[in-house]
Amino acid sequence: MKNADPVSRTLRKEATRKLLVETALDQYTLKGITATPTADIARAAGVAHGTVFLHFSTQEALVAAVIEDFGARVTLRLHELVAQQATLRDVLTAHVRCLEEFEGFYTRLVVEGRLLPTSTRTTLLGIQTAISFHLAQAADREAQEGRIAPCPSHLLFNTWLGLVHYYLTNGDLFAPDGSVLHKYGPELVDHLLGLLAPKKE
Amino acid sequence: MKTCIACGMPMRETADFALGDPAKDYCVHCARPDGTMQSYEEKLTSMSAFIVRNQGLDQGVARTAACRMLAALPAWKDQPGAPL
Ligand SMILES: [Zn+2]
Repeated sequence: MKNADPVSRTLRKEATRKLLVETALDQYTLKGITATPTADIARAAGVAHGTVFLHFSTQEALVAAVIEDFGARVTLRLHELVAQQATLRDVLTAHVRCLEEFEGFYTRLVVEGRLLPTSTRTTLLGIQTAISFHLAQAADREAQEGRIAPCPSHLLFNTWLGLVHYYLTNGDLFAPDGSVLHKYGPELVDHLLGLLAPKKE
Repeated sequence: MKTCIACGMPMRETADFALGDPAKDYCVHCARPDGTMQSYEEKLTSMSAFIVRNQGLDQGVARTAACRMLAALPAWKDQPGAPL
């Protein structure tokens, strides 16, 4: 093992890094991002504690790597789920489905957001920028067609996100045994669309 | 799937590419009317405005966030204006 060639050494290093990022994501989801010591992550990954610091100079660097990787995956999945020319209902439903797939860690990010370094907060903003793009496109189109009442883009987005995040951050009250979005997602989508229905003459 | 080097948007259909040309590395939103790619300053301004319009953030915060998001994209990696 000591005399392994440089290629396999690089591959092994990559694999360990990936393992650490994935294990950290699980541990953070379980115990919280700021509350999980690196020693717990090393133990869960089955590596020596020192190995963590061969890959990440500090705990913050590991947190940043995990959040960055997570942000890229969520954004990609969002774009995958939202079809071209999607209706507002389609976009909202795709958003709920995507967040449901990543619910545990996403909720941690929302709850602990302001305790984390600014750089990691940017990742959450990046996710919101991606979904707000699709939402505004669909809403503009439907407002033009008279299918919804006109509403400023930022208020539509923040009303929706406020609703979703309220249920997520209080998931223990709404769905103590499972996914809050699985249980309430369709109802929240219906409610938002009801609020946006065009006013009758 | 190709993603835009200047804003990160996935480009799925020909209409997503600058000038509808799938050989381009940047998207329709990052192209000027003549098809050339927008400058860093142009992109930073439009992205900040986009965040303010769609998410309602404070203008200064939106600009800083846009700066950080752009810094992660291939087109702007060496941009001196991007904060670490
Ligand atoms: Zn672009």
